[in-house]
Amino acid sequence: MRTTTRLRQMLKEPGIIVAPGAYDGFSARLIEAAGFRCVYMTGAGTAASHLGQPDLGLATLTEMANHAAHLASCVSLPVIADADTGYGNVLNVVRTVREYERAGVAGLHMEDQVAPKKCGHIAGKQIIPTQEFCDKIRAASEYRTDPDFVIIARTDARAVTSLDDAIDRGNRAAEAGADVIFVEAPQTDDEIQRVAREVKAPLLANMVQGGRTPAVKVAELERIGFKIVIFPAVCMAAAVPAMERSLQELKETGTDWHDGPVLSPMDIFRKVGFDWWHAIEEKFAPRS
Amino acid sequence: MRATSKLRELLGTGKTLFVPGCYNALSARILETVGFPAVYMTGYGTSLSLLGLPDAGLATMTEMHLNARYIANAVAVPVIADADNGYGNAIGVIRTVREYIQTGVAGIHLEDQAIPKRCGHVAGRRVIPIEEAVGKYRAADAIRRQIDPDFVLIARTDARGAHGGSLDEAIRRANAYLEAGADLAFVEGPTSVDEVRRVCKEVHGPVFYNQTGVSPRFSLEEMNALGIAVSIVPGATFRVTIQAVYDLARDLKERGPAAEAEFNERFKAHPLGNIHSFAGFDQVREWEEAYLPAEEMDKYTDSVGHQPVKR
Repeated sequence: MRTTTRLRQMLKEPGIIVAPGAYDGFSARLIEAAGFRCVYMTGAGTAASHLGQPDLGLATLTEMANHAAHLASCVSLPVIADADTGYGNVLNVVRTVREYERAGVAGLHMEDQVAPKKCGHIAGKQIIPTQEFCDKIRAASEYRTDPDFVIIARTDARAVTSLDDAIDRGNRAAEAGADVIFVEAPQTDDEIQRVAREVKAPLLANMVQGGRTPAVKVAELERIGFKIVIFPAVCMAAAVPAMERSLQELKETGTDWHDGPVLSPMDIFRKVGFDWWHAIEEKFAPRS
Repeated sequence: MRATSKLRELLGTGKTLFVPGCYNALSARILETVGFPAVYMTGYGTSLSLLGLPDAGLATMTEMHLNARYIANAVAVPVIADADNGYGNAIGVIRTVREYIQTGVAGIHLEDQAIPKRCGHVAGRRVIPIEEAVGKYRAADAIRRQIDPDFVLIARTDARGAHGGSLDEAIRRANAYLEAGADLAFVEGPTSVDEVRRVCKEVHGPVFYNQTGVSPRFSLEEMNALGIAVSIVPGATFRVTIQAVYDLARDLKERGPAAEAEFNERFKAHPLGNIHSFAGFDQVREWEEAYLPAEEMDKYTDSVGHQPVKR
């Protein structure tokens, strides 16, 4: 079954979809191995890991779609990918949807920020008029080639205008054809409740540790009516301090061997599919 | 010598540098073979040849600079490349200039169109405020000074033909952009000889002229007399390709394989008709003889096909 169709089914079934954020193939593999049913490709993580740059709209459509294709090809789960602003006007949006469909992801989210965009949890964002945003969503939903491809509309209006405007934009984007609505960065528990009550469409919650939205656990988000929750930073936030710690240790001790369990190269290869490839080799190219 | 320094040298001769456009590595190599001292990478042709899409801001910075890199790697002459509007604000421009410098091209032009841009000879263009554009050229200038001060920065203004624009506004902008650090000013789309004269007189710096679309055509002597520093003819090579491929395709459709056989006979007489030599197989054989074990060359004995020769 295509991953788009599977994600559609998951949207129809009861229960919330938990999609931890992958910033590269390795983290996507680990999300699948941990038993999650969906992977989220973080744009901030893509810019940081792929380019070594902050999430300021510097990553191009090509870079984002290529990265999405790598993630989608190394896991069998549906991948929801960040597509920023759609990289331009409605024409660029149509191209973006096509490129992301080809990349093999199951859905994308597209926001109403002015290009170049900024991370949803930092200051200085600007938004386009509601009508222009709805036109982009309509173009995206009309020009997808796979009707199961999931279009998620994200509004950044909360930090620019008001929560009321964000809720209005969410409802209008749903009318324009969005399958799921993503109101970025509500700032209190009450605001989260209001989004859940007042946006009349399936909802995505964005839980970023250290971001502007208070932490709400999966079970509670499910109870108040959210359909998808993403944790974009979970892998990267764990990896960065671990890498820093190891680098510091290397500098201090002069070796990367340490007390306790060490990861051998084979331990690492196993986590990225070695056994699967090895079985193919055994079957079709046995060693003499 | 670096390609950027080579282009600076060519610009220093005081004569008009006449630069035809290429749209991929192959067309660049043909221009180089004919003897042009520099080539120009067209954005219109890149978008159309690489993606099959119109020049409407659909090609990404990654696609544009990759094409530029392929071209710069394929030829020894300096390449001037189209970098559209820099793909973002001043911050995006910093990344764009860095990426283009790394491709090995010798210079780029950056325009003041709003995102997404479109071809400078198609209606419906909009420009950003002059203050914002000046910030982008200042950013571009600062970053190229850091990495390679010889990298040539051409500031293009679309204010002549944009919605609500005028030649006066375009000239004002060209001068502001030169002051912000651009090496050459490119007023896109003047529509008459008088307008080009005014640009040459009133722009206080080297003028880059795009001899295409709605703009008048001049001989090289006329451009020298006008004081034009660089003149490009961006689209002729992809137009002639379109014509040649279309004509051959029609012929194949109508007459079948006979059309291919006849074409091949005609092509053999063409200066580049020795296609495998032009592609570089002779060079490969030379390298093989120089660097591979002698017995490796036995593979050419009794092997069917084009036999590369020593150049």
